[in-house]
Amino acid sequence: MSDAALGSILPLAVACPLLGAVICPIVGRKSGQLALAIAATSLIGSCVVLGLEAPKVFGGRTVIVHFMGHWTPVHGHALGIGWAADPFGLVFALAAAVIGVVLVVYTMSAMAALGRGELGGFACLFLILDAGLIGAALTADLFNLFVWFEVAAIASYALTAFYLDRPMALEAAFKILVLTTIASFAIFVGAGFLYQDHGALNFAQLHDSIAAHGLRTADVVALGLLLAGFATKAGLIPFHAWLPDAHTAAPAPVSAMFSGLMVNLGIVAIARLVLQVFPSQHGLPMLGLLMGAGLLSAVVGSALALGQDNLKRLLAFDTVAQMGVLAVGFATAEKSGVTGAAYHLANHVAFKSLLFLTAGAIIHTLGVENLSEMGNLARRKPFLFAAFLLGIASIAGVPPLNGYSSRNLIHEGLISTHQLWALALLAVAEILTFAALAKAAWLMFLHPRGQPYGDERPLAPGMTLSLLVLGVLCLAFGLVPATLSSRVMAPAASGLLHPSVYSHGVLRAAAVGLPPLHVHSSFVSLEGLLSTGITLLAGGFVASHVVRHGVPRPVEMLRGLHTGSVNDYAMYSVLGIVVGVAVLRLAWTG
Amino acid sequence: MILFNYFAAAALFCLGLYAVITRRNLIKIVLGLSLMESSTYLLMVSLAYRSGSTAPLLVNPPKGQTPSSLVHGNVADPVLQNFCLTAVIIGVAVTGVFLTVVVRIAQHYNSIDADDIRAMRG
Repeated sequence: MSDAALGSILPLAVACPLLGAVICPIVGRKSGQLALAIAATSLIGSCVVLGLEAPKVFGGRTVIVHFMGHWTPVHGHALGIGWAADPFGLVFALAAAVIGVVLVVYTMSAMAALGRGELGGFACLFLILDAGLIGAALTADLFNLFVWFEVAAIASYALTAFYLDRPMALEAAFKILVLTTIASFAIFVGAGFLYQDHGALNFAQLHDSIAAHGLRTADVVALGLLLAGFATKAGLIPFHAWLPDAHTAAPAPVSAMFSGLMVNLGIVAIARLVLQVFPSQHGLPMLGLLMGAGLLSAVVGSALALGQDNLKRLLAFDTVAQMGVLAVGFATAEKSGVTGAAYHLANHVAFKSLLFLTAGAIIHTLGVENLSEMGNLARRKPFLFAAFLLGIASIAGVPPLNGYSSRNLIHEGLISTHQLWALALLAVAEILTFAALAKAAWLMFLHPRGQPYGDERPLAPGMTLSLLVLGVLCLAFGLVPATLSSRVMAPAASGLLHPSVYSHGVLRAAAVGLPPLHVHSSFVSLEGLLSTGITLLAGGFVASHVVRHGVPRPVEMLRGLHTGSVNDYAMYSVLGIVVGVAVLRLAWTG
Repeated sequence: MILFNYFAAAALFCLGLYAVITRRNLIKIVLGLSLMESSTYLLMVSLAYRSGSTAPLLVNPPKGQTPSSLVHGNVADPVLQNFCLTAVIIGVAVTGVFLTVVVRIAQHYNSIDADDIRAMRG
């Protein structure tokens, strides 16, 4: 297909799930399973559309652009609503569509007991959320990014409160509503300021305008607001307070969706802003700020995960840590680091969905949610044991699983930019992450349990199938690191690191070739194996210490800050915004 | 640029924020967020107005004419007004969801005090 034809089908990637979202509640009146089947079909439609774009975008390292109604740019001024499938956006859009299908299949089995209307409504909300994520990945302008952010957000509020009869779900829904609404104000005002100053919303045009005219205080404030807003969606500390609550309360497929995909929307937007929109040569300390926030989230998030008893809450705090790792990768603004971050983003989608669905399967079959109530499951549920171990090994970076290569690339990025203190902190975070998950695995599967379990429900075939698919994805992404990083992730990083080429492709409708990046990724690297080995040993030691002697004091103090009061959480969020903007403005030397 | 409006928007925003951070009544928190939202609308509409501005689409005026000679009087920027329209619609939807959740909370907990609704901590 020609570029124009590929461009014109791009909006279908979002239109398919939105259409499905309209049909599902109607069909849901007759049959809930049919509604879910339609949801899966419409997401497969998205996969097909995105799959058609993939060879051209990744193979030709190009950007497929489409302006709605053919309002093409004039003299470098974007007039219409732009779509742009660059390699980075397409990685996330494909992940959202493919994992969306897997999660719907899981839902068909796990939530089959629900009523027809409920399943229809669930399918509708799920599709709207996924459409928001795909739209956010493919949009080429800031305001539409805000709109897709809101589309995803409104669906996420309703999905958090899906079990309306559970008080916990309502509590979580109120918290996610307050924090995300504050974030949306920040994004809204930030976008307005940038438009006021540069007369542009298109990423490419904004980049060109900032490069040509320089920055003013209003732009710096706008960047601070935008970063804070998207950091809320990404769950970076101190904006993360909604995340553990929402994950604890929502159904398992929704937790997997939130953790695997929705939080990534924030990171994708942040990466675009700091790498693609704002050129780094204006003395703006945005990469330093992002690095700081990333390291804080990685260390504190993994430490908090260590102190949790609720399984899903533990995994949610682990998500905070993983988002921190991604932020660190993007903040290196160096080819290995950014390639690694893009790679890790795709890996995170696979292993975090796998872990959440395994947790959901355990809760579904046994009806217990807390680690202290579990134990001795290894013989009883060998399949789930294997799935959980696979997920942990992926996160810990055991070769040949997927986390190994992406982690090493991020490390390499930090080494080549001489940020060894950051590398040390990241290593601490990785050790704590593995410790938290190893503790969970020990308590769930191997720890002896006194009393027998109550009624057990069988593992439905849809759940087994989706766990298998995710496990295979974890393995497959890890088995071909060289191909994957050079063919897919390096072009994605190239689009982020060469913003002027990207902007040329978007605004001049030229079939640009993004410059190739040479990233070295292989199995046999002494540093990689050594770092994995250290992570496993030290993490295992920390885990056994915590199991025997309880949670250390500093972690308890951090937990004490999570008071559960929505006022406090709003306060943290606002303080985060103020500090972020102040740091950017005061340390700005332009 | 209407300076007074900026100050009014900032004052409204801070007032709303004060309510969100200090009030424990969930309805008052929702009201505070609505107030913050309205202040952003005021800010956007005020940003859209600049003295001496012309229509944004006049990139290539006909020969011998300037954009300002084609348009008489000030033109407020319709893009920022569009911002507001979109945000108003989103805001209505969000407030609807907000109040639904608060009603449900009131039914379940018999309270709308934020301090009673904090089972999930740590």
